[in-house]
Amino acid sequence: MTPSPAPRPSGFSRRTLLAGVAGAAGLALLAAGCTSDDDGGTDAATPAEADRLAAQVGVQEAAVAAYAAAAAADPALGPRVAQQAQQAMAQLDKLRAAAPGATSSVPPDAGGPPPGADARAWLREQLGAAAGAHEAACAEQAAARAALLGSVAAGLRGQEAVLL
Amino acid sequence: MADDGAPGDLDTAAEDGALREAVAAEHAAVWGYGVVGAALPPQDRGPAVEAENAHRDVRDRLGALLEERDLDPVAAQGAYELPFPVLSPVDAAALAAVLEAGVSAAWVAVLDDAVLAPTRALAVRELGAAEVRAVRWRTAAGQVATTPFPGLPAG
Repeated sequence: MTPSPAPRPSGFSRRTLLAGVAGAAGLALLAAGCTSDDDGGTDAATPAEADRLAAQVGVQEAAVAAYAAAAAADPALGPRVAQQAQQAMAQLDKLRAAAPGATSSVPPDAGGPPPGADARAWLREQLGAAAGAHEAACAEQAAARAALLGSVAAGLRGQEAVLL
Repeated sequence: MADDGAPGDLDTAAEDGALREAVAAEHAAVWGYGVVGAALPPQDRGPAVEAENAHRDVRDRLGALLEERDLDPVAAQGAYELPFPVLSPVDAAALAAVLEAGVSAAWVAVLDDAVLAPTRALAVRELGAAEVRAVRWRTAAGQVATTPFPGLPAG
């Protein structure tokens, strides 16, 4: 990270428009699921933070299960949200990698849409709830874990929006 | 982590720096949406205008926050280099998606550097709002509508 508050050189404007170029140094560790320090030891998880991240793994498992339940209830919906379901799984993988202590081996009981209900609307609600839970947890985390939870929450907001 | 929301004796230098980068990204988005709107037919400009206003609001609120912290304002550039020519409505939507990706990266960087819980709450809210807008533009640009990790550097 380069938190330099000095006025930007002229090269900055291009960097701003080209997404995702800046700020990679500290976050690159995250991709490998590494939660060790990224700037002088401020990124070590406290036990409470580790517990909360493990809890978000369970939240994400429920979101993944909700895709399967919604597709089972409405077979026409499944193919239309297949890419999003895959992305929810990728999010789960990354959360698990960042919370190696998470042991939610019990399959989450996400239930499913009530008989006769709109499976699409039900799925949208589940995704919104998962996003909200990640957002709340994000505010209580630090550094790479906050960045990951916030990003996953935003990704779920996007998945929710697709179903509108 | 101290999450009491008061600066107290926490070192906010990194957070301040990331917030300044977020202001810069919001400046760029406000400018860029002018280009987006200009490449859309008048009857389709509504979402671009809404997005531009949203980014202007966030930029102004961020500017006020920096002022509260006695930090220098972050000035907009006079113009920005476009990542590709914007000649059609599809180009416009693709540029809008790039703009939202740019602010998303800035907000994720804020999350990475934030030491105050309210700052993280602001960042995660704006990150989600940017992604919801991006979904619309990616769809219009013929791209996959969603992305699993908005703003997070690839790797």
